[in-house]
Amino acid sequence: MRFIVTSTALLKNLQQISGVISANTVLSVLEDFLFELRGNTLTLTATDLETMMRVQMEVNDAQGNGRICIPSKILTDYLKNLPEQPITFNINVGELSIEMSSDVGKYKIGGEKADDFPKEPAPGDTTQFTMPSIALLECINKTLFAVSADTLRPAMTGVYFELDKNSITFVSTDAHRLVQVRRTDINCPQKDGFVVPKKPLQQLRATLAADETLLQLAYNGSHLFVTSAHLSLSCRLIDARFPDYKAVIPVDNPYKLTINRGDLVSALRRVSIFANKTTNQVVLDINGNALQISAQDIDFSYEGKEMLSCQYSGEDMKIAFNAKLMVEMVGNLDGNEVQVELSTPTRAGIFRSIDKVENEDLLMLLMPLMVGV
Amino acid sequence: MEKQRKIIHIDMDAFYASVEQRDNPEYRGKPLVVGGPPQGRGGVVAAASYEARKFGIRSAMPSKKALELCPEVLFIYPRFPVYKEVSNSIREIFHRYTDLIEPLSLDEAYLDVTTDKQNIGSAIEIARQIRQAIKTELNLTASAGISINKFVAKIASDFNKPDGLTFIAPAQVEEFMEKLPVKKFHGVGKVTAEKMKGMGLHTGADLKKLTEDELVAYFGKVGHFYYNIVRGIDDRDVEPERESKSVGAEDTFAYDLTTTEEMHTELEKIAQTVSTRLQRYELKGRTVTLKVKYHDFKQITRSLSLEKPVCDTETIASTAKQLLQLAELTDKKVRLLGISLSNFHEQKIPAKKNSAQLRLFE
Repeated sequence: MRFIVTSTALLKNLQQISGVISANTVLSVLEDFLFELRGNTLTLTATDLETMMRVQMEVNDAQGNGRICIPSKILTDYLKNLPEQPITFNINVGELSIEMSSDVGKYKIGGEKADDFPKEPAPGDTTQFTMPSIALLECINKTLFAVSADTLRPAMTGVYFELDKNSITFVSTDAHRLVQVRRTDINCPQKDGFVVPKKPLQQLRATLAADETLLQLAYNGSHLFVTSAHLSLSCRLIDARFPDYKAVIPVDNPYKLTINRGDLVSALRRVSIFANKTTNQVVLDINGNALQISAQDIDFSYEGKEMLSCQYSGEDMKIAFNAKLMVEMVGNLDGNEVQVELSTPTRAGIFRSIDKVENEDLLMLLMPLMVGV
Repeated sequence: MEKQRKIIHIDMDAFYASVEQRDNPEYRGKPLVVGGPPQGRGGVVAAASYEARKFGIRSAMPSKKALELCPEVLFIYPRFPVYKEVSNSIREIFHRYTDLIEPLSLDEAYLDVTTDKQNIGSAIEIARQIRQAIKTELNLTASAGISINKFVAKIASDFNKPDGLTFIAPAQVEEFMEKLPVKKFHGVGKVTAEKMKGMGLHTGADLKKLTEDELVAYFGKVGHFYYNIVRGIDDRDVEPERESKSVGAEDTFAYDLTTTEEMHTELEKIAQTVSTRLQRYELKGRTVTLKVKYHDFKQITRSLSLEKPVCDTETIASTAKQLLQLAELTDKKVRLLGISLSNFHEQKIPAKKNSAQLRLFE
């Protein structure tokens, strides 16, 4: 088979899917892109057995249909070093040889058999719904950072998608914090739930367009399929029950503190420099409308303290958080003002944006540190 | 000619499973799998006891499959901290003979005993002593492979498993490689093995008939490796673990120090900081290193290994003062002093200590 393609266009498409590929010395075919030519349409596929991504593009002067696996690293290295120009691919599927000619030279790569490439899971028996690309992108952005890395709790190493007739909720947690974001403008066919691993979500985050294009989401007991006009992703779901997250969200945190988000993040960043590096502990001391943030590292005689003004309704209290986790949370909220809802120094604080994004309900939860002060 | 190397590959027999059987008499003689239970998403087999292997159960197999093969099999949840501890003890045994140790995992390591600490001289004798020590001190069995390079040693250790010792003499290496089925070659997975089979390549001897260019053309860059290995050539070094981190502290002074008294006072302060850091990470180091930077930015280090690992301020300070005597101080002004400790014994991960963080789920 033979076709002509613009180097930069091919590279751009390959880079959309190349993140899926990870080094694999056992199955070398997993380090390849699968090229499939049918008419003038070239389909490119990458997989790590858990996640599979596929992108389609049009090529010129195509002759013959066929499939072959091409080693990804050498191909992308080559394309990255080539100024934009048409490249002619001459592929002999039988001999597994790939020849690329550009204005400046001729290059050859040995391929692998397309039949050795893993098959895509059959999307049989799926339930489907649609969602704007930007909505999914936003929800992934807001939840992915709080996903756990603890492989002993597999359910928490992914984001929980909780479907309902007129909403979809995304939840992530690492047992210290929890993020729940609900879109009330999405209609799902039925109440349901599944856990999507981190890696495919990272891939989606890197490739989804920030526009209103409708994505098709389809799932069954084992897989999720996300499809747009040119790009599709399928991944294996995490087969474990997500913890009963609703039970840990406090329903009544009576004390409310409202503060400028930017000021809070900057103060936390500065003060935490002086915190103990293993705990990252900062103490929030709330007295009326004054918030004092302080940290110390006794070992090195480090100390940091800042005073911020806030609006607070509640009893004065002292509560400690891990500054790193808190900065990540507050940094992922929207708008200028943030509201922190508290009850006691040993129970979770709720963080919300004051300025709501339309059709979105975002809630973040952070467990405190035991204060030894 | 370069000196012929002596490489030992030690592989613990069904390591996790054997530790469980050692610690729990009721598991002995029973088919047992260490790994995730078959329920739910289903774990995989991390290790299978030899009783379980009789049923065809192998590591990395889904636990569900293991249960199908042997419905009576016991599933034991792994106790990694215990295996880690046992692994450290095994490593201590290795260290009696050589410091050139490359651990591949908790239960496997390469040892380069071309020269050994005790001047035993015979790799076979060292392997025998190591296996004996593992048996008497830890009540576990290991298999050893001995040869002139890592590749052959590793394959040899698998030959008489469990509780075996296999030596492939330098003169036998080529013949050994020729007889070796291709699927035993490092990096040859199912796919490549099938590919080789399709090409009529079944043993090392078949591979040997091909030129280097042909091998590279068929198999990519690993072809170079195949070409050499069938000829018994594997130059990869045994690379000792690089985790020998150090904990230290140093201080640059506002004015240059000239008297020993001043330097001693500073060393005591620095030793205090180092000691605090060591205790925070629950570490003890055996080697104390002193760093001295002179006013002309010339820098020297002097180090000393102690009998026992330490973490207390007094010992660190006194050792540093001792080392200071080895530094040239006449007519020199000192701008910076530093102390670091390395050669740690037990390592604990500080993150786990972070118990002040309250949890949402237990």
